[in-house]
Amino acid sequence: MAAVTSPQAGPALRRGNWGTLSYLFMRGSGVLLAFLVIIHFVIQHVINDVYTLDLNFVAQRWSNPGWRVYDAFMLTLALAHGLNGSRIVANDYILHPAWNRAVNLAILAAGLLWIVVGGTAIIGGVRFM
Amino acid sequence: MDVLLRIRRSNPASNEAPRWDEFVADLEPADRVLDALRYVKWYLDGTLTFRSSCAQGICGSDGMRINGRNRLACKTLLRDVRQPITIEPMYGLQVIKDLVVDMKPFFGQYRSILPYLVNSDPAPEKERLQSQAQREIFDDSTKCILCACCTTSCPSYWANGAYVGPMAIVQAHRFLFDSRDQATERRLAIMSQPDGVWRCRTIFNCTEACPRGIEITRRIDEVRRALSFGMPRVVKDR
Repeated sequence: MAAVTSPQAGPALRRGNWGTLSYLFMRGSGVLLAFLVIIHFVIQHVINDVYTLDLNFVAQRWSNPGWRVYDAFMLTLALAHGLNGSRIVANDYILHPAWNRAVNLAILAAGLLWIVVGGTAIIGGVRFM
Repeated sequence: MDVLLRIRRSNPASNEAPRWDEFVADLEPADRVLDALRYVKWYLDGTLTFRSSCAQGICGSDGMRINGRNRLACKTLLRDVRQPITIEPMYGLQVIKDLVVDMKPFFGQYRSILPYLVNSDPAPEKERLQSQAQREIFDDSTKCILCACCTTSCPSYWANGAYVGPMAIVQAHRFLFDSRDQATERRLAIMSQPDGVWRCRTIFNCTEACPRGIEITRRIDEVRRALSFGMPRVVKDR
């Protein structure tokens, strides 16, 4: 595939570039999240009474490693999907170069922070009380 | 019948503030908005400035915002629009005067997508052949008359004029899906720029605005599919 340069080129233009990947990721993660989130909602609010949700409930669920994997997927996909969407919207409207860079960095930092915090909780687990 | 017009007047070259002018024109229900504009210019206010050429919906010169929607003035019948008829220049492009906008960025975006057939094979004795199925696949995008109604109705374009715009993607589609064209990879690379096809938010304003009835959003989606999953076989099999 030949790289093409044009007056507007930043990275080398290729057919399969970040734009394509981002687009496909949003579609794929959106579909997956629809299932993950609906099932999560049903478990947390329909099958169980939301007032019974406490750390013991979480500890009980997470004693099964399958649920930890499930929650890890939901965490990373939701963050990536939501923050990538925020990035796209920010790029649509924030045209000033310095502000655009600052907002993009803030979005990236927030995403990394929440993944680390959430991941620590999922991997570390919670104790029964 | 009497027709009440509200026309946005502005002259950035002068110090006058933009304003709304009202006119009453005596016309028939089957007359068009272009006829009303001509009536105003010829009999009421000669300074009213607008573009028009063929006056029959094929040149695309008189695209403007009529009652809040982008239309061709020569194709919009007076009986089909509510009074007072509010006429403004198209959004997203700089106003030169009254209803005339600067089309240079629009045509710049058109040129950026290589709007010509690229084929380095030696010219055949007669035409370059293609099947009916191959012709059908890009038939819709050949109808574009470069009127700018679609691009100037796109909120993504309003937010950032660097977006290549619906028209450019439709024109790229016309050549991308033409089996006689050989610049497929280059065209796809141009379309997959950050300001290319990925800025489309599937808002559908373009499809609604197109006076030629092109299913623009569908064509944009076909380009995105080509970028994501490859060109359809009917085009690739030359």
